[in-house]
Amino acid sequence: MTRRTRAPLVGGAAVTGLVGVLAAHALGGSSATVGLAPATSGAAPASGASPTSSGATTSTSSPAASSTTSPPATTGTGSSTTTTTPAASGARSATGALEQYGYGEIEVRVTTEGGKITDVTVVELRTAESFSANLAAEALPTLRNEVLADQSAHISTVSGATYTSDAYASSVQAALDSLGIA
Amino acid sequence: MTGQLLRHHEPVMGTVVSFELHLDGESELTRLAARGAIAAGAAELHRLEAIFTTFVDSSPMSRYRRGELALDDCPEELPVVLEWCRRAEVATGGWFDPWALPGGIDPTGLVKGWAIEQALGVMVARGVDTALVNGGGDVATVGSPADSGRWRVGIQHPWRRGRLAAVADLPAGSAIATSGRYERGDHLVNPFANDASEEPVAVASATVVARSLTVADALATALAVGGTAAVAASAWPACEWYLIGEDGSEVASDRFPFAAPTAERAAS
Repeated sequence: MTRRTRAPLVGGAAVTGLVGVLAAHALGGSSATVGLAPATSGAAPASGASPTSSGATTSTSSPAASSTTSPPATTGTGSSTTTTTPAASGARSATGALEQYGYGEIEVRVTTEGGKITDVTVVELRTAESFSANLAAEALPTLRNEVLADQSAHISTVSGATYTSDAYASSVQAALDSLGIA
Repeated sequence: MTGQLLRHHEPVMGTVVSFELHLDGESELTRLAARGAIAAGAAELHRLEAIFTTFVDSSPMSRYRRGELALDDCPEELPVVLEWCRRAEVATGGWFDPWALPGGIDPTGLVKGWAIEQALGVMVARGVDTALVNGGGDVATVGSPADSGRWRVGIQHPWRRGRLAAVADLPAGSAIATSGRYERGDHLVNPFANDASEEPVAVASATVVARSLTVADALATALAVGGTAAVAASAWPACEWYLIGEDGSEVASDRFPFAAPTAERAAS
């Protein structure tokens, strides 16, 4: 038997790619393009970054360099504007219009307060397979970026304890299935 | 020679089953036929679910458990699965115990793996030679990807949602199953809980690689309950195993097929 003592287990980096992308657009803007880093941005870590820095790599995947984070080539241009709705507490919420991001559509609502993002909510997610899911805002990009950025980027599938159909929606497996690539 | 990859996911058996089918340039299977094979595999899963589900009172399994249906009057698959349960109970030294819960024999700990194997068999009969079927975390394969010869399978982290604990490199035709307390409900019952001589085990996740997914599923279930004690009791040869303790400790068989670290990770 082999006893392994490495710690921590794979995937210790906190990845907040979605928030990183939105931060550049939502703060102080009355209109902003809300997009997600395309799946291919996961190729960036292959340039030698270790997993613990892949999180940083993802969050700097040029949201500042362009006002539009372009989705994969096969999709539409994904025009979008956001409307800001002042909330009683002084927080501002911006809802990005539905954005094509390669294999589905996502709409997110970003709430800022005092210039800081306090909440990011996935308002609507429609995948090509038409299964609706209520994903935690951090789950989707984290899952995709974890899967793509880590050395395990090329896994085919995930073995884990049985998940329900609902839990599947926010699982790594769903992210893999949606990618539709080898 | 460009390979094609067909993916499909099918909600069934209370989970979602993912299909991945590889077509390379040498495959005689057309894309249309491949889609038909996936559909047939999915249909087989639904057919088997209707037989074995214990969530429907009128299923043959439910009626058999209540003594309303004689074995001879059941679909032929039912005694096959019951025999697997008996075999698994013996082979795991009792750590896999389909009689642990009240209500009669319950094949839940291995029937999903068995059904997925059956579905893959239906696909193979239709000409599929390179495919992977993942039924809510239980994975069966036939063949292997042309480029690497191995299936790279992530192993779910037991408590970090969306993260992986490890990656396995599976050779052609291998199966892998993972069982853990973090699956819905705490239905893992320790059949030896009342025995004062048994130390409580704190296994967060147990993964088994074997040739048969039915074996992997049953053994993973047993190891999730009994940990290293169940490993010691197991009489199934050629199974590799990997346990994650609730304290984060890891232990694995010497030849558990962990994927080799890539160049980027070698330094970490």
